[in-house]
Amino acid sequence: MIIVQYLARRLAFVIPLVLGIVFITFMLVRIGGQDAVGMLAGPMAGKAEVEMIRRNLGLDKPLWEQFFIYAQSVLQGDMGKSWQSGRPVLDEILTRISASLELLLISIALGTLVGVPVGLRAAMKPNKAFDQISRIASLISFSVPTYWMALMALFVFFLGLGWAPPPMGRLDLAVFPPATVTGSYFIDSLLAGDMQAAGSAAGHLVLPVLVFSLIIAAPTIKQTRAIALEVLGSDYIRLARLYGYGKGTIRRIALRNSFVPIITYIGAELATLLAAVALVELVFSWGGLGQWGLNAILFGDFAAVQGYVLVLALFASSVYLIVDLIVLIAEPRMRR
Amino acid sequence: MTTVLTTAAPRPSFWQSSFVQHVIGITRHSPTFTAGVVIVLIFTVVAIIAPLLAPYPPTRTFPDAVLSGPTAAHWFGTDGNGMDVFSRVLYGCRYAFGIAIPALLLMLIIGVPAGLVAGYVGGLVDDLLLRTFDIFRAFPTIVLALAVVAATGQSLIIVVIVLGFLEAPIFARIVRAEVLALRSSELVESAVVIGNPTWRILLMHILPNSIRGATAQCAVRMAWAIRVSTTLAFIGVGIQAPAPEWGVMIRQGAEYINTGEWWIATFPGLALVGLVLGLNLLGDGAQELLDPKGRDSR
Repeated sequence: MIIVQYLARRLAFVIPLVLGIVFITFMLVRIGGQDAVGMLAGPMAGKAEVEMIRRNLGLDKPLWEQFFIYAQSVLQGDMGKSWQSGRPVLDEILTRISASLELLLISIALGTLVGVPVGLRAAMKPNKAFDQISRIASLISFSVPTYWMALMALFVFFLGLGWAPPPMGRLDLAVFPPATVTGSYFIDSLLAGDMQAAGSAAGHLVLPVLVFSLIIAAPTIKQTRAIALEVLGSDYIRLARLYGYGKGTIRRIALRNSFVPIITYIGAELATLLAAVALVELVFSWGGLGQWGLNAILFGDFAAVQGYVLVLALFASSVYLIVDLIVLIAEPRMRR
Repeated sequence: MTTVLTTAAPRPSFWQSSFVQHVIGITRHSPTFTAGVVIVLIFTVVAIIAPLLAPYPPTRTFPDAVLSGPTAAHWFGTDGNGMDVFSRVLYGCRYAFGIAIPALLLMLIIGVPAGLVAGYVGGLVDDLLLRTFDIFRAFPTIVLALAVVAATGQSLIIVVIVLGFLEAPIFARIVRAEVLALRSSELVESAVVIGNPTWRILLMHILPNSIRGATAQCAVRMAWAIRVSTTLAFIGVGIQAPAPEWGVMIRQGAEYINTGEWWIATFPGLALVGLVLGLNLLGDGAQELLDPKGRDSR
């Protein structure tokens, strides 16, 4: 019964949440006082022409009406056109998002596979050598800016050692991209049996993935350790110790109870990392959603900026929702 | 009568004074805190006396020494404009603190009262505030900061205001949680019974007791503000060249990294890592000192 109630409350909040997100996105490009009409009309336009453009764009209407029109078209999948390319924003996003997701998902998988076990091991024996070393290491890599680490990695592995390919996209210039199935060049070329393309794609992935997964691992270690320590210090673990359970059993109980908060944490990470991946994309000229979005922000491409921010926010909220549902299923205390 | 003078206790030596004992105690309890304090202090001093330490003004160009590697005349080399990287890195400390401190103050000024009111008043106000935070939580702060700063103007003040507003909810959340726990405590109950006005209870009884968790966050939030502001500058939004700001300098150096002029991006990056690490160590240590339970729970 509680589950149904909780679910209903959680889902009921989705609608105002999405409306709020659309509203903030709508306001985002309007607070600046940058004049889109002036930019469109150009310096030679007269007053009448500016007024005409303003009317054509619907900018003479009151703000709430503009918002209503914007919200309506967004809900129909129309995000306007990018003035840089002249193409619909939604098309631009859809062609690029798979490149970002490829980088993001591989990095997050790797970062989690390193971060969670290290954090758990550190928590098992707090304040011992392993704990101290992992703590300092994670603090250092937590303090290194993503883009700077990417630049340094490029300098060492591309220019210095010559191991990595040049930071220009996801494939060598001479290699044709495989037919799109999943959107990941690596997986797609494996599916197509094109070993040359697969090798090229993997080679281009290594360095950005390495950098980004290191960035992800650092806070994961810290959080996992904190979560596991809290569980190990909890009353039910003390009770289990009093019962005289073996070390293995206690570890199993602790692990199972750490699972839910760790999932919650990784979900929260994933939600913000689609934005953070933009910096890696920028340095490696990855050509994904992030690089495109940063470019749109720099050049004042309003429709594209709105589309980018909206996609990020909707992605984050759906991740939060999914995480909440997983927690609901996995958390034994919620099931009563 | 004459013995009175001789029985006076000997003045404690410097190493036995309570202040030094206190410092040693803190260091033993949390070496990270001490390491953080030392690092941050060094950067603070550099920021204050940068003009005395720097061999050249930060934007002076050396036309005969453009893109010179590290030499005796230019310890950290020169950049594409022929400016001395070492002097610019030193002056960069001023930008870091000049952004982080006002941004932190703004976060506190907005966040703490919001958390106090939400936690104490509760009900609809609390719900409304939390839901608003939830909506903002959906936007990755870095992108929101980018979009707002790019749209509103490329100035230092705008960067500070945006950072302050974006992270204020963190303080509001922390304070709110503490206030909720305090609201039904005997301390507050007796204050109400005695007949204190609400503003007095909030200010005198609740605020001092709910601010502890927030203080540990201050250093971490400053580190965050420095990271984000340099990231903005690296992308090309906010502070612009030729300002001696670390993000700007790394952006300039990024153009040269693939042709081998590594020093332009490397040194400002190292300074940035050093200061952010120092602040994070300080924050981590402060948490440790304030909440010893979290560190070594057996």
